[in-house]
Amino acid sequence: MNSRIGGVIVSHGQVANELLSAAETVVGELAHIAAVSIGWHDDVEAAKGEIERAIKKVSNGRGVLLMTDMFGGTPTNIAAMFIKEKEVELVTGVNLPMVLKLATTDGDANLAEVAKSVEEQGKQSIYRTGSLLEIHKTV
Amino acid sequence: MPEAIVILVNPLGLHARAAAKIVRLANEFESAISIVRPNRDRHADARSILGILELGAKQGSELKIEATGCDETLALEALTQLIVEGFGEI
Repeated sequence: MNSRIGGVIVSHGQVANELLSAAETVVGELAHIAAVSIGWHDDVEAAKGEIERAIKKVSNGRGVLLMTDMFGGTPTNIAAMFIKEKEVELVTGVNLPMVLKLATTDGDANLAEVAKSVEEQGKQSIYRTGSLLEIHKTV
Repeated sequence: MPEAIVILVNPLGLHARAAAKIVRLANEFESAISIVRPNRDRHADARSILGILELGAKQGSELKIEATGCDETLALEALTQLIVEGFGEI
């Protein structure tokens, strides 16, 4: 298999681990995606070290996409220190469809294109489901 | 283009793991394969989990499978069987 763009999910608490685990339940093992859960009381330097190790682990020479839980939060702020053009991109507000999007993306798209498609997938996948119920009544 | 109409029988509808099974099976073939929900005019690539999930199909929903390519008949048969058998859930 061709090398793939790597991914690191970074979050407060255990959200990152659980998102990765949910995605793996759906599509199988994801060796090119890692999770870093930052404890509420973790030291910033320790958290930085963990993200750095995770980036190295999933990096295949095609770049790494960091996906963090919330813009403005500590996990995002620490992850943002690693942004580097063509090597590391960051998308915030990670949800399961975004992880699945990255998990199922292969091919030749570059890091910036993949980052954009993951961002768009995340936004597109949010529905106010009540507004769909009328349509769902039709089978 | 060969196509088949199937009714979703499994209680959970077209959920994530079921969608993943469709994708895995579709990837065994060369043909282009679409899953269509005719009543809602929605189309999904059978190789896209997220596309299939967005069909929003539930138990009882009607789906149309379309396949085009060198192994279209085999692909159609395999996918029809997977869905008709409820993804091995029932």
